Amino acid sequence: MENEQKKIETGKKSRWILPAAMVAAVLIYYSVMNIIGTTRALDQIYSNFNPEKNAKTYADSAVFTDSAYLVLLKQKAWLQSKTLMAETDSIYLMINLDDSIADLAINGVVVHSSPIIRYRLGSIFKRGNDAILYTMMSTPLSIVSSRSTIRKEPLMIKMAPKDTSEYQPDVIPDTTHTQPVNFILNMKEGIRICFYQGDPVLPRNRLARFWFDFRLRATDAWAAIKRIAVLKVPDYHPYIKLYVSRGDNRIIYRAIPRNGQVTVLL
Amino acid sequence: MLMEDKNTDADKSIQGDGPPEDKVNQEQTVTLLGEFLSWLRKKAVRKDMAHISKRTLRVLIIVLAVSALVAAVFYGVPLLDEMVPVKAPDITSDPGLNKSREYKSETYRISRDIQHLERKYNSYTSGQSYIVINTTDNKFYLYRNKKLIREGFCSSGSYTLLKTETDRKWIFKTPKGKYWVRGKTTNPVWKRPDWSFVEEGLPIPPKDDNSRYEYGVLGDYALSIGDGYLIHGTIYKRFLGMPVTHGCVRLNDDDLKVIFNTLSVGSKVYIF
Repeated sequence: MENEQKKIETGKKSRWILPAAMVAAVLIYYSVMNIIGTTRALDQIYSNFNPEKNAKTYADSAVFTDSAYLVLLKQKAWLQSKTLMAETDSIYLMINLDDSIADLAINGVVVHSSPIIRYRLGSIFKRGNDAILYTMMSTPLSIVSSRSTIRKEPLMIKMAPKDTSEYQPDVIPDTTHTQPVNFILNMKEGIRICFYQGDPVLPRNRLARFWFDFRLRATDAWAAIKRIAVLKVPDYHPYIKLYVSRGDNRIIYRAIPRNGQVTVLL
Repeated sequence: MLMEDKNTDADKSIQGDGPPEDKVNQEQTVTLLGEFLSWLRKKAVRKDMAHISKRTLRVLIIVLAVSALVAAVFYGVPLLDEMVPVKAPDITSDPGLNKSREYKSETYRISRDIQHLERKYNSYTSGQSYIVINTTDNKFYLYRNKKLIREGFCSSGSYTLLKTETDRKWIFKTPKGKYWVRGKTTNPVWKRPDWSFVEEGLPIPPKDDNSRYEYGVLGDYALSIGDGYLIHGTIYKRFLGMPVTHGCVRLNDDDLKVIFNTLSVGSKVYIF
């Protein structure tokens, strides 16, 4: 009788072991594939933007580790990128992490400056090879898609009245702007620039920021799972997370064109 | 409560009839029965409680496990990704390298490039007067010699899409980008376009019909920036700072006068 009881209890326990082991194995596989994906993406960036490729002599390649030379390279990359964007008539964004300022500019004229409250960088931007990063940033980054908590163009559809009896004057718009503003810009180069609402916010706004970030992570995880399921390595997006005030976030998101350009001074 | 009632009934019967031994026996039986019933009830409650707590615990464990899994996938794995070692050489400041000819020529070349780029970039920045219009906050900023000389509220496009039954469409938004003043007018007259009649449910008159001309509604001055868009005055001053126009930029009378006198034909207008 006791033996039977024990057998039942052991059976109940072992019922959980197999699924738990399977979940753990899948999780490990998922993690390993993600790490491979990250490594490959970083290698890709390194091979695409390595300035040492064109170095002819030892001195040529050694300059890329020299602090004085790197300062010049950084300055040149920033100016080169800004100049390329200024040649167009469209609105562009210049993110200066040294001064914690995000500037919107048109044709070389800064039209709006937004202070960056704080920022977080992906590992490549924090610990990567400076010469490679400056080379990468010497050309503007192009936006391919974006995602936001507000609409880019708050278009309202109005049907024309058939005659004067149907005519109704426009309602005065609500300009109180209490909606939380968070958005991300996905760049052609695989980089992701996230703008989060960083000013002292209501708990509601904090929650909105958390959900926005959570949904983004969920989307990424789902995309990774889909790739892993067909034995492909998931994509990795080096990120720059900027915390900017709600008003400035709204201005930047509404001003920057859908396929606009961005440059970053790291 | 039920037990107490029963006991009371039993007591009544004991007091009524029968010998004293029977009374004691009956009393004991009643007490034992009462205790047994109470024990049974407690056990049943305990069993229920145990069952409920077991189920709750199981649900809690499942919820925790799922949360841990989600946290691992959404937060743990990206964190692991960020821990992947990134190849980066040590930054040095080698005095030997500074003396090499290649280094000197490379440094000279890059310094020259920087100077050239700086000159080129600064040449884009307008030294003349220009106006910046922020359509999100409905504000304007007037600059002269790169210095801000006036700022204030304006009204820009309402982002309304007007549709007719015949599928004609108009979008009332202020265009963004770089423009310049193409013309300046005093006492402008508004020639009402088709949409202004459609919007009010009026029949569209012929092209140069008198009903198309309205006087005094655009203020004292107007600056044209092309494609029919104007910077002009308004009679709806209470709407300044709001997106209510059909694409033009409206200003109050004082601001408009300063802007009209500061900007000349060819002055830049930056709208974002």
